[in-house]
Amino acid sequence: MQKDNRESGKQRMPLEGIRVADFTWVQAGPWVGRYFANYGAEVIRVESNTKVDWARNVPGGKTTVNGRLRKGALFTNFNCDKLGITLNLKNAKGLEIAKRLVAVSDVVCDNFSAGYMDRIGLGYDELKKIKPDIIMLSMPVFGSTGPRKRYAGYGTGIQAAVGLSSISGFPGRPPGVNIALPDMGPNPTHATVALLAALHYRNRTGKGQFIEEAQFESSLSWMGPMVLDYTANNRVPSLQGNSLSHAAPHGVYRCSGNDRWCAIAVFSEEQWNAFARVIGNPAWTSDQRFSTLPQRKEHESDLDKLVTAWTSERTAEDVMRLMQEAKVPAGVVATGQDVLMDEQVKSREYYIELEHPDGTAFCENIVIKFSHTPGKIRRLGPATPGQDNEYVFQEILGMTEDEINMGYVEGAFD
Amino acid sequence: MKTEESRDSALTDVRVLDLAGESGLYCTKLLGDLGADVIKIEPPGGDAVRRVGPFYHDDLDPERSLHFYHFNTSKRSITLNIETEEGRDILAKLVKTADIMVETFAPGYLAENGMGYEELKKINPRLILVSITGFGQTGPHANYVSSDLIGLATGGLLYTIGFPDDPPTTLGASQAYHMASSNAAVGALIALLNRDVTGEGQWVDIAIQGTALRLSEMAPYTYWLVGSYRKRSGLEYYRGLRDVFPCKDGRVICSALGGSGAGKMLDWMESEGMVADLRDDKYAIVMAIMTGGSFYGKGDQNKTRLDVASAKLQDFPEEVRHIEEVWESFLMTHTREELFVGAQERGVRLMPVNDVKSLCEDIGLKARKYFVQVDHHELGESLVYPGPPYRLGETPWKISRRAPLIGEHNKEIYQDELGLSEELLESLKSANVI
Repeated sequence: MQKDNRESGKQRMPLEGIRVADFTWVQAGPWVGRYFANYGAEVIRVESNTKVDWARNVPGGKTTVNGRLRKGALFTNFNCDKLGITLNLKNAKGLEIAKRLVAVSDVVCDNFSAGYMDRIGLGYDELKKIKPDIIMLSMPVFGSTGPRKRYAGYGTGIQAAVGLSSISGFPGRPPGVNIALPDMGPNPTHATVALLAALHYRNRTGKGQFIEEAQFESSLSWMGPMVLDYTANNRVPSLQGNSLSHAAPHGVYRCSGNDRWCAIAVFSEEQWNAFARVIGNPAWTSDQRFSTLPQRKEHESDLDKLVTAWTSERTAEDVMRLMQEAKVPAGVVATGQDVLMDEQVKSREYYIELEHPDGTAFCENIVIKFSHTPGKIRRLGPATPGQDNEYVFQEILGMTEDEINMGYVEGAFD
Repeated sequence: MKTEESRDSALTDVRVLDLAGESGLYCTKLLGDLGADVIKIEPPGGDAVRRVGPFYHDDLDPERSLHFYHFNTSKRSITLNIETEEGRDILAKLVKTADIMVETFAPGYLAENGMGYEELKKINPRLILVSITGFGQTGPHANYVSSDLIGLATGGLLYTIGFPDDPPTTLGASQAYHMASSNAAVGALIALLNRDVTGEGQWVDIAIQGTALRLSEMAPYTYWLVGSYRKRSGLEYYRGLRDVFPCKDGRVICSALGGSGAGKMLDWMESEGMVADLRDDKYAIVMAIMTGGSFYGKGDQNKTRLDVASAKLQDFPEEVRHIEEVWESFLMTHTREELFVGAQERGVRLMPVNDVKSLCEDIGLKARKYFVQVDHHELGESLVYPGPPYRLGETPWKISRRAPLIGEHNKEIYQDELGLSEELLESLKSANVI
C-alpha cells in the first residue's frame, strides 16, 4: 500500500511512494517510466554497459566533443527524473542485485523480446516469489504467444503494419507516412494506463499481476472505427487526403511564403457562417453549391480552390488569428521552429532546457497538468550509465562499500 | 483458476461521468473497458458524435454510427440537459456519486453554468475533473478552438508528413484525439492514485496541442539542436534512404538499408541469385555509410573503417538509386508475408504495410484472439471489434457492453439508482430536461 509520507508544507507529488524498476530501453519503453518519474515515483533505470541504449548513440546536445555533436540528449530526455544504474543481468551477482531491486519495488517493466526476462531468470513467476504483490509489465512487439511471438519490430514499421499509412494520404499516392508514432503515442500511454489501473487494484486488494502489452495490438487499438467499417460493412477505407466526412472546408491551405500552410476545419453551420464572414462574405459563399454540409462535401474541390485563393494572399499566422477570433478552428501547420516560437507553447512551458555536465540539453516538459499535485521535471536522465550506482546500491539496497567493490570486481555492473 | 468472466476488473470501484465530445471519448472507453462504471451524459436527442460516420450498413441513423459504437463501449447512457436548472440539480446528484468526470467543453463553459471545478469540489471534494481542450485551460490561446487536424498541425507533426511536393498530409483515425484521450486517462489514474493516499480530488488539464507535441518526434528538438527543421520526406525516413517499397502483393516498409540489416539483406538476395552487382567495390562505400550511419546503431559505427560522419549518402545519389532499384526488384519477387517471415528469420528490419483486410486476416492476431465479438441484439447480430490494447493477468480488459442507445439507461439510473419518481421523470421529459 502506498504511504502518505508528506512532510508538513511540502508539495506532494502524485505518485510519491511508488518505486519502479525500469528495465526498458530505446524509446517506447522509457516513456512509460518517465510518466512515473515526472510525477514523483522513484524510477530506477537499469542499463547495460555492454548493450548501450540506442538513444545514447544519437547526436544530441549542443556542445561538441572532438568536433562531433555530443551524443545522448535523446536518452537524457526520455529518461529524465530517473536514477541510473548499470547491471549485467547475465552475471550471477548482477542478477542477484536485480532481484534485490525488485524486492523493494512496486512495478517492474521491460520491453525486451518475448520471453527474455524468463530466460535470464527475471520472469514474472520468479519475481512473484521475491515480491508477491509485484506488478510487472512486458512489451513484446507481437506478444508472447502465437506464431509471431519471436518477431521483433520498431516504431515506423508498427505504424505501417497496423494500417495507419493505409488510411493516410492523398488518393493515388503511395503511403507517405514514415513516422514512429507508436513509440510516443499508443505504446507508452497504454502501458502507463494499465500499470496505474493495476496499482489502484493493488491498493484495493493487495494483489499484484502481470501485464502484457503487445505493441502491435496496442497500436492497432488506436485505429478506431476502421475495423468496424470492415467487419460490419466489408469496406476497406480509401485515402481521403486532408478531408473529413463531417466537415468542409477541412484541410491544409497554402498561405503566402515558402511552404507555409494553415489548417482549417469547419464542422457546424455556425462555423461556416463565421468562416464566410472572416473572408468578407464573397458572393460564392452564398452559392447554392456551398449552402449545406452535404453540398460543400459534394463540391469540396471547388470549395478548396476558393479557400486557397483567399489564404494564399495571407500569412499562415494571420489566417489562424482571423479564423480563431471568429471561433473557426484553424492552426498554423507548425514547423519545428514554429513550435518553439509559439506563444501558447511557451506559456505552457512544454519545453525546457536543463543543465548537463557537457552544456545545456533539451527536455520535453510535462503535458498533463494537475491543479493540486503538479509534477515537475527536476533533472535530466543519467548523463552516463551507472551515474547513480553508489546511491542506489547503498541507500536503497543497503549494500556495503565492500560488497559494491566486489560487484565491480566480479563484473556485476558491466 | 477463476474463469475470465468471473474475474474482477481493475476499476470496478470507479464511477466516471462522461461529458466528453469526440476528443475525449477514447479516454472514457479506456476506463470503461478496464471495468469503470462509465455514465455517458448526452443532451436530449443524443450526442453529436452519433452523426459521425462510418455507419452500420451506411444507414445514417444516430443509433447506427460505427464511430459512436467503437468509442462508447462499456458505457451506459442517460440524457440530460445540463443547461437547465433541473438538469444541473440532477448532475449534482450524480457528481456526489462519481470519482472522475471527463469533459471537453470550451474553457469556462462549466463555470458559466455553475459547474466549474470549484463548485464541483464543494459537492464532492474527492471528484477528479479531467478537462480536454484544444489548447488547455491557460495561456494566450486558451480560448482558441481546435480539432484533430488542428491538433496535429499546431503540434508540429503534420508539417512533416507526406511528400515534398504535396501539402502536409494528415493521418487517419484521429491520432491527435487518441493522444489527448490516452494522456487524459493517464492523468485521471495518476490523480486517482494520489486520491487513494490523500483522499483529495483535483483538476486535470489536458491540451490537444500539448499532447500532440509528443507525437512530433524530433521536429522541435532538431530545430533547437541544429537550427533546421524536419521536412516532408515521402517514402524516406530520416536517413535519405527510401523505406517504403512495393512487393509482389502490396508494400513493405524496410529500414534495413539504414542499419546493420543491410549486410544480412545482401546475403539473403545473394542466396536467391538477386544481388546483381551490389557486391562490387563501387558500392562498398555506400554500403558502409548505410550500415555505419545506422540511426538505430548497435555499435555499427565502430565496425566500419570509414568515418561515416564525414561521408554522406547525398554525395552518392546514383549509387543509392541503383541499390534501391536492385533491392526493389528482389522485393517484387516475394509477398508481404514471405518478406516479413524471411526478414524476421534473418534479423532484418522489415514489416508489411497492412490494410484493414490483411489485419483482419493476420495469423498472429487470430492466434491471439485479438478481435472480439460484441453482441448487438438491436441489430440481430454480433459485430467484430478491435480487442485489448493490453492484457492484465488478474483483471482482464473487456468490453462489458456495446455502446448504449440514446438514454438507454435513463430508467435504470434515474429511478433505480438515484431514486427519482416516475412522475418527476415524466415532467422532466416534457420539459426537455431528459
